[in-house]
Amino acid sequence: MEEEAPDLLCQLENVQGLVDALSAVRWKRHQDAVVELSEHGIVLIVEESGCLQAKVYLKRELFVRYEYNAQGRPRFGVSLGLFIDCLNTYSVPGQSSSIQIQYPGPDMQVLLKSLDSQDASICAQLRTRIPETFAWDYNFEPAGTNPLTFTVKSAALREAIEDLEWPGSSIQIILQPDPPSVILRGEGHGDLQIDLLYHAHTDLLAAFQCDHRVSFKYKYKFLRATTSNIPGSVIKENRGSKVTIGRGGMLKVQHLIPISKMSVSHPYVDSVGYQQPGRIAYIEFFVKPELSEDSTNDY
Amino acid sequence: MKFKAFLTENGMHLLEKRFLPALDKMGKICHLYLTKDHAMFLHNLLNGDGVQSIAQFRKEALFDDYRISSQNDDRIAFVIDVSLLQRAVRSSVSICSEFGDGPTANRLLIKLVKKLPANSTQPIPFLSFETKGYKSAVIQDVPISKPLSRAQVLELQNALDMTQDLPQTLVQVPDLNQLQNFVDRMRHVGDALNVTISKYGDLHIQISTTLVTLGAEFRKLLVIGEQANATAEDQNLTAQTRSSRAVLRGDGQSVQVSVKHFAKSLHCHLTKPDCAFYGIAPQGACLTVIFQFFIPGSRQTDKSISLHCRIPVLDTGSS
Repeated sequence: MEEEAPDLLCQLENVQGLVDALSAVRWKRHQDAVVELSEHGIVLIVEESGCLQAKVYLKRELFVRYEYNAQGRPRFGVSLGLFIDCLNTYSVPGQSSSIQIQYPGPDMQVLLKSLDSQDASICAQLRTRIPETFAWDYNFEPAGTNPLTFTVKSAALREAIEDLEWPGSSIQIILQPDPPSVILRGEGHGDLQIDLLYHAHTDLLAAFQCDHRVSFKYKYKFLRATTSNIPGSVIKENRGSKVTIGRGGMLKVQHLIPISKMSVSHPYVDSVGYQQPGRIAYIEFFVKPELSEDSTNDY
Repeated sequence: MKFKAFLTENGMHLLEKRFLPALDKMGKICHLYLTKDHAMFLHNLLNGDGVQSIAQFRKEALFDDYRISSQNDDRIAFVIDVSLLQRAVRSSVSICSEFGDGPTANRLLIKLVKKLPANSTQPIPFLSFETKGYKSAVIQDVPISKPLSRAQVLELQNALDMTQDLPQTLVQVPDLNQLQNFVDRMRHVGDALNVTISKYGDLHIQISTTLVTLGAEFRKLLVIGEQANATAEDQNLTAQTRSSRAVLRGDGQSVQVSVKHFAKSLHCHLTKPDCAFYGIAPQGACLTVIFQFFIPGSRQTDKSISLHCRIPVLDTGSS
């Protein structure tokens, strides 16, 4: 019997980076994810209650080898927690370990294999499911001709959202052009308001674009999920996250997660500030706003 | 019933820095079994289903001026709390090292005593640690169980004899840290671990649940005991197939153990062994781990110290 080439066979040099990227969208213990394969790379999608969706984009440039042989775009469902736990066993502290990912296996599994040593190898087979289709579409459209967006230090964003935990279950986000600022506001048992002023806090707020005032409310637990699992490497490297408000108040939060350990393996390359764009995993969260009683928002 | 001995400097180091921290991880209490020639720390030998650990020292490895006498062939055994013992040894060692030097160096005296505790009329047994400093003496009493009766000691000795059967094939694990790191992460995935050991020098450990199979294979390990040459046709198979083929041919054995137990046995690397061997006892009775210690500065096995664990089998597996 001639063996057919699998839909995907790819190899990655640094498992820990992949663990970091996937962990960023793991906001609870048991979560189902859908994985979509294409010639451009791998996308992993997680969703909750029709209000929150997260996507991890792993472009093919991240992989040292990427052989794609499928027609169309194969999709499969997998338990995110198990996937991360399995990948984690490949990761050895203080060194970067290579793995091979293959789909499908003989019984439609995802096959993971370590590549570092012939005499000590790790193998995993993860059962996949036929994915459910998502109930609603997260098509993100800009709110107007000019995007409403700001870029903020990931650590600061996470801290601000953590601080807003006590007032209540929904958080109001206000963007206003005059003075250019972002306001995060929680109301409930008490009030708490965090103002980020563009001109005053240039170290925190790296970019800001807004031509009219908008205000939307979001469920706290969904907002929290967008930042609570940002990996330590992002915080340590002082990276930024981009927040955009789209049509209807749809919130988009984007993080960039470094996959390769450039600073460890190539200290000289890193010191001149050279970063290959292919070494970054893109993470996007989409949060639907709560329906507001007053429709004072203009688009 | 009398027991009195001085712990040597080497003995202090062995117990404080290496063995007691490891034994503490094996279980809160253990039997301390003293004979004319040996001192043994025994975990789970009489009771139950946990990991059995047997640490045995020839008296010279720990003590000098070792005196023991009992009506039961000079054997004494009792139950002791490992963490209390560890605390007593640790603080006694710090006192000794603080004041002791020269010919009058402080020595740590260990003896079995009976004392009347406060608010009690019944004297209870203690293992007493006595350290004499320059101007002071520090005595620490670690409470112990009533010494075991003649019948109980016999039972313990029988259980100990039962643990001495050697697996026919033992493979050496080169890097315990790596294995521990792996098993610690594996614990999240499942509870039961299949362990296959072959005469070719392959060790394969694998967790299987309905959703996931996760395994690690270590090959071309040093084999002690029965060995065989791997067949060339097995080279390009998956680890799982290779293991089951070895078992089918009678060149391998497989057992299932608890991941928690397996991880616990790996804590023995705190004793800083020079090598570790895994093997499956005859009839798949248990998974045995044997740790070896070299005489410092040599590659010769130190016969005065021995440590091994027996991990209970959940299921006889495919053997």
